[in-house]
Amino acid sequence: MALGLPFLFLFGTAWAAKPAPTENLQAAQQAIANAERVDAAVNSAVELGEARNKLALATAAVSDKKMVVAQRLADESRAEAELAAARSTAAKASAVNNDMKRSTSTLIDEMQRKTGESK
Amino acid sequence: MNHSNSMPVRTLIAAAVVAALIAGCASTPRQPMGSAEVRAKLTQLQSNTNLANRAPVALKDAESAVKVAETPQKDLELAAHRVYIADRKVDTARALAETSAAEAERVTLNQMSEKARLDSRTREVDRAKADASMAQVDAANARADTAEQKVATNQARNDADAAVLAAKVSQDEAALAQQQASELQRQVALLQARPTDRGLVLTLGDTLFATGKSELKSGASANLDRITAFMSEYPNRTALIEGFTDSMGADDYNQQLSQRRADSVKRYLVGKGVGSERLSANGRGENSPVADNESLAGRQQNRRVEVVISQAPQITGAN
Repeated sequence: MALGLPFLFLFGTAWAAKPAPTENLQAAQQAIANAERVDAAVNSAVELGEARNKLALATAAVSDKKMVVAQRLADESRAEAELAAARSTAAKASAVNNDMKRSTSTLIDEMQRKTGESK
Repeated sequence: MNHSNSMPVRTLIAAAVVAALIAGCASTPRQPMGSAEVRAKLTQLQSNTNLANRAPVALKDAESAVKVAETPQKDLELAAHRVYIADRKVDTARALAETSAAEAERVTLNQMSEKARLDSRTREVDRAKADASMAQVDAANARADTAEQKVATNQARNDADAAVLAAKVSQDEAALAQQQASELQRQVALLQARPTDRGLVLTLGDTLFATGKSELKSGASANLDRITAFMSEYPNRTALIEGFTDSMGADDYNQQLSQRRADSVKRYLVGKGVGSERLSANGRGENSPVADNESLAGRQQNRRVEVVISQAPQITGAN
């Protein structure tokens, strides 16, 4: 019996009637919305798709009353969505920089060509 | 799992728990699967000097998540979940750091772009300036050419003017010479005199005086008035009045007679308004005959008064 209590506790946590991880789900939804707002659908479609998929699974787990699983899936969805947003933003920043580099080098090329012509 | 209190079951369970504990003890140093890879990824990010300090909050969050993921966990699903979360957080931290780095780089890029634009504009200005100064040089050259042409034109004009002037001068000289020639002719005609080396010589015959007398006859005035007219028209001329006789009679008498006659002519001319300083009278006696004294006609020619009108000091001074 000495071992019974921790044993019960161990399994009890899994089976206890847990409330749906509403906050986690909302946080995931929010993160996905944020990612969409920064064009993740274009720049980091794989991550955004994964986040949406995880959120769908989490919602399904809630329906199945698998609240622990639902919460983990919701958290993973949120982490994935945040990654999608961060990568999209990084991609855009990089694109802006590349544009600037290109236009600057074009300017320098033109300048050298013009100077070459005049000489 | 409700297997009540049966001994064999309990023993089994106990054994299982012990086994699990042993397994747990055995796995305690072992990190959850994939956590090492996440840690490596995090370490890589942290050792990237360009990114390590870019997203401190996200990096700290990732660090915590990795630590949690590294915590040994018997619940493999939970362990896998934690590794998943840690992995995404490390990736997120990297992406945020990259964004920050890109934004930082943009400052430099802006400066480069600005510099390039400035250089370009500077070169354009320089080129425009060069073009302008080239045009200026061209204009100056053109101006110089024009000036040169102008100088040449002026030179040509001056030459032409000089030529015209020279022509005019020679024309004038010719005209003057002609004028002088005609003037001489006029004077000769006026005086009915003859041009000689000494000047214009007017010979007044013996009709002026009665024989042996030095008083002018009344009819002599016509010849003398021509001299008066001439002298008043050419006021810078002087006249030498010379008296001559034939060889009849004594030399001394003839000399005095010729002098008185010359004086008489001078007196007449002074009386008509010719300045006495312009006139000189000289008796030459019977010397300097112009014909022989043997015949009557010759002696008549020798009895005479000659008026020698001096050459003008300058011929052109007649004007």
